[in-house]
Amino acid sequence: MLKRAAALLFSALLLLTGRDACADLVVVANPKSGIERLKRQEVIYLFMGRWRQLPSGTEAHPVDLGNDSTERAEFYRQLVNKEPSEIKAYWSRLVFSGGSRPPYTAESREELIRLISSTPGAIGYIERSQVDSRLRIVFELSSSP
Amino acid sequence: MPSLIDRFRKQDRKREQSGTFLALLAVLFSLSGPALAEGESEIADKRFEFGGFGTLGVAQTDSNDAQFIRDQSQAKGIGKTPSAKLDSLLGLQVYFRATDSLELVTQAITRYGPQGNFQPDISWAFAKYALIPNNLTLRVGRMGTEFYMLADSRHVGYSYLTVRPPVDFFGELAFHYVDGFDLVGTLPVGDGVLKLKTFAGQSNEVAPIGKEIFSLRRNPMYGAYLDYQQGNWQWRATYAQMTFKHDLPAPVSSLREQLAAVGATTAARAIALTNTTSRFYSAGGVYDRGPLQVQAMLSYTAHESHIYQNTKAGYLIGGYRLGEFTPFLGYSWSKSKSKELSSGLPDIPFHDLNVALAGALARVHTDQHTWSLGTRWDFRRNMALKAQVDMIRGKPESIFLYPTSTPKFDGKLNVFSLALDFVF
Repeated sequence: MLKRAAALLFSALLLLTGRDACADLVVVANPKSGIERLKRQEVIYLFMGRWRQLPSGTEAHPVDLGNDSTERAEFYRQLVNKEPSEIKAYWSRLVFSGGSRPPYTAESREELIRLISSTPGAIGYIERSQVDSRLRIVFELSSSP
Repeated sequence: MPSLIDRFRKQDRKREQSGTFLALLAVLFSLSGPALAEGESEIADKRFEFGGFGTLGVAQTDSNDAQFIRDQSQAKGIGKTPSAKLDSLLGLQVYFRATDSLELVTQAITRYGPQGNFQPDISWAFAKYALIPNNLTLRVGRMGTEFYMLADSRHVGYSYLTVRPPVDFFGELAFHYVDGFDLVGTLPVGDGVLKLKTFAGQSNEVAPIGKEIFSLRRNPMYGAYLDYQQGNWQWRATYAQMTFKHDLPAPVSSLREQLAAVGATTAARAIALTNTTSRFYSAGGVYDRGPLQVQAMLSYTAHESHIYQNTKAGYLIGGYRLGEFTPFLGYSWSKSKSKELSSGLPDIPFHDLNVALAGALARVHTDQHTWSLGTRWDFRRNMALKAQVDMIRGKPESIFLYPTSTPKFDGKLNVFSLALDFVF
C-alpha cells in the first residue's frame, strides 16, 4: 500500500517536473537478435500482436512494463497515439476471441532488462538513460521514422 | 538469480490458490503433459489466466408496437419499459498454455438468449495449435463465428465503441459459434500482413421463433476470409454459408403442411428450409489512427429458401477520442427483397391459406436505416460507460428484426441505452 502510494507520488512528481524527463523512450533488443534497426511499422506489428517475428527470422517476444509504469502509457502514446484504455480494449477483443496474446508484462525495469539480455528474440522499451551494453537500441520513438 | 521458469511457476501457484475450480483444472492440465517442455522460450505468456468481461446495460424504446432485440437469438424484445435483458451479460474465460505451440481456451457466457432466460452457455472451447509458428495455426473445438468481421467478439462490449453492434447489420444472425475447426495462414506481404482463414463445422445452437424453438443443430457451416492489415488500414472480404437441417417451427411448419395437404406442393417446398443453404458475403474496412477510428461494412445474404428474403445491409461508424470521452456517430441500414411466391390455389375457398402464406413471407421483410449517436467514457481502468441513442427509421413493413410487432407499428423506433462495460 505504502509502496503504491510512493509510486503514485513519484509518477506525479515526474509529471510535474515535465514530460521530457520520461519521454525519451527507445526500443531495445538483445545484441544477438540479428537486427540492427526496426521500422515503426514493424514495432507496431510486434507489440500489437499482428506479426511476431523479427526481420532476422527469430521468434519475437515483446515485453511490456507494468500497468502502473509511466513508460508503458507513454510508449503506446508515442507509438500509435493510443491511451491505455484503448490498448486494453484492443487486447480484450483478441484475448476473448481466441486471437493473439498481449506482450508479457515484466514486473520491473530490472526484470525487463534481464529478460531481454537473456533472450535473443525479446524486445522491450525503456528510457534511453537506462540502456547499457546488454541491450541494443533498435528504434527511437522520438526520432525514428 | 531465481530462474524465470521458477518465477512463472510461482505465478501459477498464486493463481491456482484463487479458486478450487482453477486448482482442479490445473491438476487436470498438469497431468496432460510435462510442466515445461524443453526448448521453450524463457519469455512466454502466462501459463494460466483467468479472465472475464461483462456488460450491465439498460435500454428502452419509445414504442410498444415492436419489440426491439439485439439479434435473432433473443426470445423477447424490449419496449417502453427500461430493461436490462437486452445488453447485460457476463463472460468468464480460462486460458491455459500447455506448450509454446498449444493453447487451450474455454469461455462461458450468460446472457438473455433463445430460452428467454440467462442460461449460461459454453461460447468458446478450443485447442489452438501452431502448425508453423507465426504462419499457420489450427484451432479445433468450439469457436465464435466470423460470418462478418468482428462478429466473433460481439459480446465483448468493452472492446468496441458502441453499446452493441449495429442491429441492422448483425441482428439477422441467430448463431454465435461453430463446432469444428479453422485454419489461419498469416504472411507478411508488402508493408502489411495478409491473413487467410478457412473454417468448417456445424452449429449447435437454437433460435427462438415466437414461443417455439428453431433448431440449428448439426447445420453444416463453412467459410473463409481474406484479411489484409497495413498501417492504419484493415480490409477483409468474407464468405460463409450455412445449410439448414431443420425446418422452421410453427406457424410456418403448419402452413407448409396445410399447403401440401391441398396439393400446393410447389409453394410448400419453396418455404421449406431443410437442405437449403444460406450464403453470407461481406466486405469491410477499418481505419484506426490515434484518436480516430472508422469502420464500415457491407453484406449481402442470399437464401435458397423462399421463407427468408435476400438482404443487403451495411454500416459506417466513426468515433474520435477527446480525453476520456469518445463520441461516435453511426449509420446502418438493412434492406431485403421480397420473393414472389403464390400458392397457385384459388382464393375461394383457400383465402385463409393464401393470407397465411402472404403473411409468412411478409414477416421476414426488412427495409430500414438507423442513425446512432453516443459516447463512450473510459472513466476508470478496465471500465467504460456508454450512452447511446438509436433512431430507427423504416417502412411499416420492415418487421423482420423484431420478434413481434403490432399492425400499428409505423417503422419508427427510438432506442435509448446506457451500458457499463468491464473486463477483468
